[in-house]
Amino acid sequence: MRHFAKLLIVYERNGTKSAKTRLQDPFSDCEKLRPPLSTLMGKGGFQALLLHAHELAGTEVPWLRTVKVKADGTLEGLEELRMQLDPDELFEGRVVLLSQMLGLLVAFVGEKLTVGLVQGVWPKAPLNDLGLVKGVNIE
Amino acid sequence: MNKQNRPTKLRLPQKVASQPGKVKIHKLPTGVRGLDEILGGGIPEFSFNVIAGMPGCGKTTLAHQIVFANASQKKPALYFTVLGEPALKMLRHQQQFSFFDESKLGSAVRFINVADVLQEGDVNAVLAEIIKQVTAAKPGVVVVDSFRTIEHKTIGGAKDVEMQSFVQRLAQFLTSWQATTFLVGEYVQEEIRENPLFTIADGLIWLWQVAERNSVVRKLQAMKLRGQASVPGLHTIRIGEGGLQAFSRTLGLVGRKSRPSSFKRLSIGIPELDKMLGGGILEGDSLLVAGPSGTGKSALATQFIAEGIRKGEPGIMAIFEERPEGYLHRAGTFGLHLKKAEADGTLEALYLRPLDLSVDETMQAILDAIIRIGAKRLVIDSIVGFEMALAPGFRADFRESLYRMIGALTGAGITILSTVEVEDTFTSLQFSHYAISFLTDDIIRLRYVEIDGQLRKVMVVIKMRGGNHSKDIREYVITDKGIVVIHPRKTDYGALTTGIPQLIGQREEIAPEPKSTT
Repeated sequence: MRHFAKLLIVYERNGTKSAKTRLQDPFSDCEKLRPPLSTLMGKGGFQALLLHAHELAGTEVPWLRTVKVKADGTLEGLEELRMQLDPDELFEGRVVLLSQMLGLLVAFVGEKLTVGLVQGVWPKAPLNDLGLVKGVNIE
Repeated sequence: MNKQNRPTKLRLPQKVASQPGKVKIHKLPTGVRGLDEILGGGIPEFSFNVIAGMPGCGKTTLAHQIVFANASQKKPALYFTVLGEPALKMLRHQQQFSFFDESKLGSAVRFINVADVLQEGDVNAVLAEIIKQVTAAKPGVVVVDSFRTIEHKTIGGAKDVEMQSFVQRLAQFLTSWQATTFLVGEYVQEEIRENPLFTIADGLIWLWQVAERNSVVRKLQAMKLRGQASVPGLHTIRIGEGGLQAFSRTLGLVGRKSRPSSFKRLSIGIPELDKMLGGGILEGDSLLVAGPSGTGKSALATQFIAEGIRKGEPGIMAIFEERPEGYLHRAGTFGLHLKKAEADGTLEALYLRPLDLSVDETMQAILDAIIRIGAKRLVIDSIVGFEMALAPGFRADFRESLYRMIGALTGAGITILSTVEVEDTFTSLQFSHYAISFLTDDIIRLRYVEIDGQLRKVMVVIKMRGGNHSKDIREYVITDKGIVVIHPRKTDYGALTTGIPQLIGQREEIAPEPKSTT
């Protein structure tokens, strides 16, 4: 799941042309998942899922604990952290949070539907299944 | 009168312009086997329907089946979820069913949660959200699940009027946008008179789940369906891996043409018995073989099927009291190689014994098998076992359902042999304690009689449609060839039907199976 999340983030990062935008929203992948998942399960449902993913991710990346999940499912406290953390640390936190989020989705609705949901967000991403993302250069 | 003043003959145009046609109401398939027939062909397009019932009776599954059966990218289905089963759980559970098509999610089938809208606003906000989504997607099917939670938001006092207005506006909007709508909700029947929703709705499908003793029985009723004739009454439904399956009370046989009466006689596979029957059983007859345990009812049934297969008439054996392997093995001991017929596809042995069956689904299984192999002969062994396999709640309808099935099948030219176990009393001759003889055209009674210190077997043809039959009480034995009716008796006995006959005159013959001498 971590590998899949990493590839998705790279795909998302490559698709975001402006370096400024990239810096302003380091968790744009979770943010992109928010509207379709909120439509599916309601704001409360999405917030609960993200809260759990955040809790799980916090055990792997402790600095994530300083980020708060708001009632509408957005993340709070990233501004301050962006100044304190180097880009690799930020990237790692982003990977772990997204992989936990996707992991929960897989646990609930299975791999096929999760890939379907992700494809709804990144329709052009070359996704086949969780173990395979074609044509994305991680480096 | 000159030509000009003559009244002109009214000339009708040669071709009368065709009358404007009535609107044709297209019907949407439900995706539920058996349900379209119950509904009179399917769900009327653009109708506004309610799927009601208590929790756990299959409402959401039914709604999903309808959605997946009809949704396409061009005409998607919008599934609005309100408070109720969380969407993730719903997807988790529904994807277990075979009708669930993941590839349709997000494009053809779209789930939209409006719980937040309801919590933050009122029913008008929900309506506005539905209007927004429907206007954008132009769906063919719209589901609101659970609509009950929207109603809870407005219940009480003047809010009833608000609810009525909401339902009215929702129905008008969705119909105008050519959407077929399903509102799913937990309702109890007492609400039908009070709740305006049921007045506004075009269709009302009610689901029940009733526990009786150790069995659970699910039923469905099309309580209302404007514009088309549905099959009235309660119909059994079952939820399996394919989702819901409905079993129409008419078994899908309504409107089928009856086969003209046949006068062809079919051999039962026992030459002497054929003679007793006046040449065999009339094709399309229902024959009942009644007798106590061990008298050879199943052997007779097996011979009947085997003879059919020999004559190129495929057969079905619906077995309720023993496993098919044992049944077919025993046939082998009579020299009847039914296993080969089974492998060749000219015989199907159905073992139906799950203890919570409904009559209709059992009959559906039999009908499916008949169609599958083009069966001409059917054995039901036995009617007592059939009844025992039913959930207690269905046993009350047993005779009525059996009557419908036998009537429909024999009408289609299938010849049926049913067995029934009766206890021998030694004072009278019962045909069946089920009082089902009215279901049958022909009856053969087997029984034990005590003769000369032996418990022997006799048979008699009690009733035979359309022809004369032997009135003789004939003795028979079960050998390695199956039932063999032995030569007509020369020794006269009286009171044979009591089971304890009296010798009249002199004994003329020896016992068909020798008495033990050691």
